[in-house]
Amino acid sequence: MAATHAVEPQAATAPAGPPRRRTPTWSVVQRALQYTLMALLALFCVVPFAWVALTAVDADGGPTVRLPAFTADNFVRFFTDSGTPRLFLNSVIVSFAATALNLACGLLGAYGLSRYRFRGRRTFMFGILLIRVIPPPATIVALYLLMVKMELDDSYLGLILAEAAAALPITLWLLKGTIDAVPAELEEAAWLDGNTRFGAIRRIILPLVGPGLGAAAMLTFMHVWGDFLTPLVLLQSPDLYPLSIGLFRSFTAFHQVDWGVLAASALVYMAPPAVLYIFLRRHLMRSSLGGAVKG
Amino acid sequence: MTTAKALSGRPIRRRRERGVLPLLLGPSVLLIAVFVIAPAGYGVYLGLTDTQLTGWAARDPQFVGLENFRNLLGSEDFLASLGRTGEFVLWSAIVGQTVLGMVAALLLRTKWLRGKGLFGALVLLPMVVPEVVASLTWASVLSSNGDGTLNRLLALFGSGAAAPLQDHPMASVVIINVWRGIALAMIMFQAALEDIPDELIESARMDGASALQVFRHITLPLIRGPVFLYLLLTTITTVGVFGLVYFLTQGGPGQGTELASIYIFHRAFQYSQIGLGSAASVILFVLLMILGLTYARLAKVEV
Repeated sequence: MAATHAVEPQAATAPAGPPRRRTPTWSVVQRALQYTLMALLALFCVVPFAWVALTAVDADGGPTVRLPAFTADNFVRFFTDSGTPRLFLNSVIVSFAATALNLACGLLGAYGLSRYRFRGRRTFMFGILLIRVIPPPATIVALYLLMVKMELDDSYLGLILAEAAAALPITLWLLKGTIDAVPAELEEAAWLDGNTRFGAIRRIILPLVGPGLGAAAMLTFMHVWGDFLTPLVLLQSPDLYPLSIGLFRSFTAFHQVDWGVLAASALVYMAPPAVLYIFLRRHLMRSSLGGAVKG
Repeated sequence: MTTAKALSGRPIRRRRERGVLPLLLGPSVLLIAVFVIAPAGYGVYLGLTDTQLTGWAARDPQFVGLENFRNLLGSEDFLASLGRTGEFVLWSAIVGQTVLGMVAALLLRTKWLRGKGLFGALVLLPMVVPEVVASLTWASVLSSNGDGTLNRLLALFGSGAAAPLQDHPMASVVIINVWRGIALAMIMFQAALEDIPDELIESARMDGASALQVFRHITLPLIRGPVFLYLLLTTITTVGVFGLVYFLTQGGPGQGTELASIYIFHRAFQYSQIGLGSAASVILFVLLMILGLTYARLAKVEV
């Protein structure tokens, strides 16, 4: 037993030595350095999350990362508090409605952009992308006044329309690319079988653009769910506030911050996009990064 | 037979279906026109007026030409907010995210390194988080009452308590923005690095080049295009950062973190000077355009 143990490292080092270039100390230092870098970067990215996760289940949560005295009380308080379930519901309503509207318009529009050749098509595609270069804070003031004029400020509808429109350029680009990849012959065959154009879209295109649609849905949903500026400006009624504004209010309104409930709220707030991300990540990689990451 | 039929059938279908196109594109065009393009154009017009949110000018806004622009360019507050935006972009986007993103991407390319998969996933996490949650978690870490994670760590090293959000507000928000942005940089650089053949780097190493020399003379020139594309993207995003900073500092303390985006918000909604805020938006946009075109040029030069 002892003998084999002694032989083994020798056998391992002897053949491995020569082919590797010979600066063992330097390479050890280099490796140590790289592992340290990796660990530090990983810690930097993870420690704030550790706080959210641990404090949310801590009976006596504070702003420090520490082992929790386990309790589910923070969540109970989040969901039984008079105002907070409403915040969550508002976020759900606005995000789902905006995403659905965005996808419906985007799918039809992208189909038109992909299958029809018309004047100004390329200009339109580049135009909508270029206009997205303007940072949101630069147009929010004018958007607010327009909304007031259209009497759409301080309403679900106004927020939903604004959010759906803001994410539409990306959706159109993403879905146009996906539909381009579906051979037109498949559709033509469906027309010959007696399908209308819209019938063919439903039967042929829709099932084949699943990944692109999933990616667009995820990006739009995350954008709307996480948005802070648009609801902050467009909404005045606390009844309509989404979670992002609710968290901001409860963080800034009182000097005594209830870290436990805030962490629980943050966790609840993060859950829907995180779940969506886990389900749709593969599609996202395939469609939007497909070109760059080469498969 | 079938193809002939399809071909002969098509022109008729196409002609009859010309009317379908407006139906397909209509909703998208309408939404984008009303909620994206109209605000942009309306903003330019508002910048030329003295529109107020409340008060007499709210009822009867006057066309004032370039007065707002003249006022802004002579206003120390506005120029300072532009300067802070520049500082924010320089440190968080150009220096921080790019360097750390590159380090992460290079680590992921190292062959013998273990735990790369886990590392890659962990670095991606901050990107998925809504900006409000990012602000909230960092508010806890940086909490100044001596009870935040940072202060506990400092205490371990025997150092006194720090109040980073009050004493170094800009550095704090820069670090938080870097945290959120590393992942995108890493993904883009990783994709670019994939395209460099291993043999190229190995042969350079054989010839005695150090890791740093290889990076500087081989890797960097080859990924120049993606790097500038990334810089363009991240600059646009960083100039647009609002919630992250507003949540933590509301532009303060004093005006320590009043970026241009927050200046616009304050002018329009706190001081109700819609015209002035809109003019500031236009200036910000023009500056961003110039910067963007410069990047685009630099990227193209040697791609």
